[in-house]
Amino acid sequence: MKNNRELENILDDCLQRLAEGESVEQCLKRYPEQTSQLGPLLGVAQAVGEASAIQPRPEFRSRARYEFRAALKVGGKRAPLRFRPRWVIALMTASILLLVGGGTAVAASNSMPDEPLYSVKLATERMQLAFTPSDIGKVKLSAMLADRRVAEIICMADKGDIWRVEITTRRLGRHLTALTQMVSTQQISEPSKALTVPAPKDKEDTGVVPEEALTKGPAALSPGKVKKAKGFIKAGDRIRLRVMLYTYATNDPAALRAALDRVPAPVKPALRRAIGVSVAGYRRTLAALD
Amino acid sequence: MQDEENLVRRAQQHDEEAFAQLYEEYFDKIYRYIAIRIGDRMEAEDMTQQVFLKAIRAIASFRWRGFPFSSWLFRIAHNQVVDHLRKKARRATAFLDESLLAADDDPQLIVGQKLDAERLALATQQLTSAQQEVISLRFAGGLTVAQAAKIIGKSEGAVKSLQHNAIVALRKILLGVIDR
Repeated sequence: MKNNRELENILDDCLQRLAEGESVEQCLKRYPEQTSQLGPLLGVAQAVGEASAIQPRPEFRSRARYEFRAALKVGGKRAPLRFRPRWVIALMTASILLLVGGGTAVAASNSMPDEPLYSVKLATERMQLAFTPSDIGKVKLSAMLADRRVAEIICMADKGDIWRVEITTRRLGRHLTALTQMVSTQQISEPSKALTVPAPKDKEDTGVVPEEALTKGPAALSPGKVKKAKGFIKAGDRIRLRVMLYTYATNDPAALRAALDRVPAPVKPALRRAIGVSVAGYRRTLAALD
Repeated sequence: MQDEENLVRRAQQHDEEAFAQLYEEYFDKIYRYIAIRIGDRMEAEDMTQQVFLKAIRAIASFRWRGFPFSSWLFRIAHNQVVDHLRKKARRATAFLDESLLAADDDPQLIVGQKLDAERLALATQQLTSAQQEVISLRFAGGLTVAQAAKIIGKSEGAVKSLQHNAIVALRKILLGVIDR
């Protein structure tokens, strides 16, 4: 116990010295009796220290500084990224538009992030998601929204609007994260791989799998149940979903990359991040679908 | 910072330049601490901004009690991280994936840092919550044991013990990498 405590103190002393610029070797010379125990730990500590030196992205640093300065003037009352009152207003507007429809709803659905009706568009999308009853429907809608964000990112990048490219990239990331979670947390009641056992040849292949089989396994796939069980989920949905996601996973990064060649140089880093978000997001979603 | 007490006092009297200096001093450290702790760069950016907004709102209540301003600031960040982790307890988060992997088409850009930071985050996620906290505060935040102890509400001895155990555990986790 005492030895442990002694080693903890020595380790801490060395960590402090490393932080002040001393080398591992110099530290070990101070404690020759503990070299064998201390050496490996200091090696790890040094690696951890180096890996921890993550730098904020320059664009974030300058944006955050601007936001901070602005907030200082109003005593920190300004929300930097999300303007909730506006969001609430937009949601209310979207609710009304969804109920009554009309030209404004159409205009909002076509709006871009730098346009006044964009917040209405986002609020409408949230409501659409909330009111989509099926899991598979939510997944498809989320994928469509992610695709829509990509179009917006390209539009903003073409205009040289780095800030909105960044913000929309965040939204894209959230859509793709949600998409992955929906797929990986089995919110889709899809057939497991075990259920891809070919249907008996004398039975008609309806392309559907009974829900009971999803929980009980292939044993539930006895002849007759395929037709009688309730709560069918189309097995083809999974394939169609995969095709749709694969298409987006191919087209969206490609469209962003194509834009990369033409957008102003200052926008390129933000656009590269959007590409990364898109590639990584779809990759995770497709992996989760497997 | 030599004149931190004076800067804090001026910031409390709504001196914007003084507060801006404090901000510049601690921005990177707070960001690193949050990024390592929560493992998501985008979220870390949002939360870093929130920490400083809260600091602006609460600076008047800050009192010198033998600990530097940084302890107070990190306490705000710590509380923010705890809240965040509680809310997302059931969600798995891939470390810094979106932003650090953002250069998929340009691997030369950040590959060196990406590998290290990613590996570290994956390794630290296997530590206990208290060990993660200590490692983040000590290495990413650059705080002393005394400051870290104050923030997480433990004795200095306990923090040293957590630090030691965390490094031993990290060594085991990273063994194949560090000792290659």
